[in-house]
Amino acid sequence: MSEKGGSLLLAEFNANFSFNYSAGRYASYFFKKLKEQKQIMGIRCSKCQRIFVPPRPACGFCFERNTEWVDLGDEGTLWGYTVVQFPFLDPLTGEERPIPYGYGFIELKGASTRLQHFVTASDLNKLKIGLRMKAVFREERKGSLADILYFQAIEE
Amino acid sequence: MENWLEGLEPIVGHQDIKVPYRYSMGATTSKFFIEMRDHKKILGLKCPKCQVVFVPPRSICGRCFSAMEEWVQVSDIGTLQTFTVVHYPSPVQPVPPPFIYGIIQLDGADTGLAHLIGEADFGRVHVGMRLQAVFKEERVGNMLDILYFKPI
Repeated sequence: MSEKGGSLLLAEFNANFSFNYSAGRYASYFFKKLKEQKQIMGIRCSKCQRIFVPPRPACGFCFERNTEWVDLGDEGTLWGYTVVQFPFLDPLTGEERPIPYGYGFIELKGASTRLQHFVTASDLNKLKIGLRMKAVFREERKGSLADILYFQAIEE
Repeated sequence: MENWLEGLEPIVGHQDIKVPYRYSMGATTSKFFIEMRDHKKILGLKCPKCQVVFVPPRSICGRCFSAMEEWVQVSDIGTLQTFTVVHYPSPVQPVPPPFIYGIIQLDGADTGLAHLIGEADFGRVHVGMRLQAVFKEERVGNMLDILYFKPI
């Protein structure tokens, strides 16, 4: 049937999407504080007092505009995690991210929501829900969530 | 304005999402492209129950769910059913803008085939116009073995 090889064809496709986006005012302030002061800022709802991190302009429960920024510090607890064994393409770089690595939800002290980030420990097998975690910041910060390298387990 | 906004520089984020992939076209689509590549033939599949000829072919009739096995050759000439002029550049498009995408119902087929329209005066392209496939010299076995459809 075919003059060139078999009767089944392969389709190959490389779709590359390089794009810029506006982070908006709230995320811009959040990233500015991260970059300049290594502070992780949440924002409080004046009605229900919930603190959102990452920040959002309005409370999703009360629909109030959020205005009160709160420095949440750099420590929290591990709320959930996974150890990734598949080399996903990193959307920030387009390159494969080396495996294995931990990825999890960190509940910063005082926050009502969880922040997603890389999580690590002296041994990834030691990761456990409830562990105390501390943010490790990059020396050269550019104003993005990658200014935090990962959250490191505090092991006694 | 709240004071935290004073002097706040809006941040522009950047991402490079890459999506490389490969997949088997399957028996039906492979035959379609192999005949196009090796013989410049455009084939469709005919439904044994409702007699509809699908181009591009599919293994199951989408109207009555019958399995289709009867291959029929259709013409490389057809009628433009609808079209759009693309002005937006995108890395996933096969050619730079501006260009025209059309859906062409080939003579002998009952469905439309999406493809590029070339050698056409943009102002004169219209629904119902007759078009003919222009095949590439070097064909590899994919939809772009047809370079585009040109007005006749």
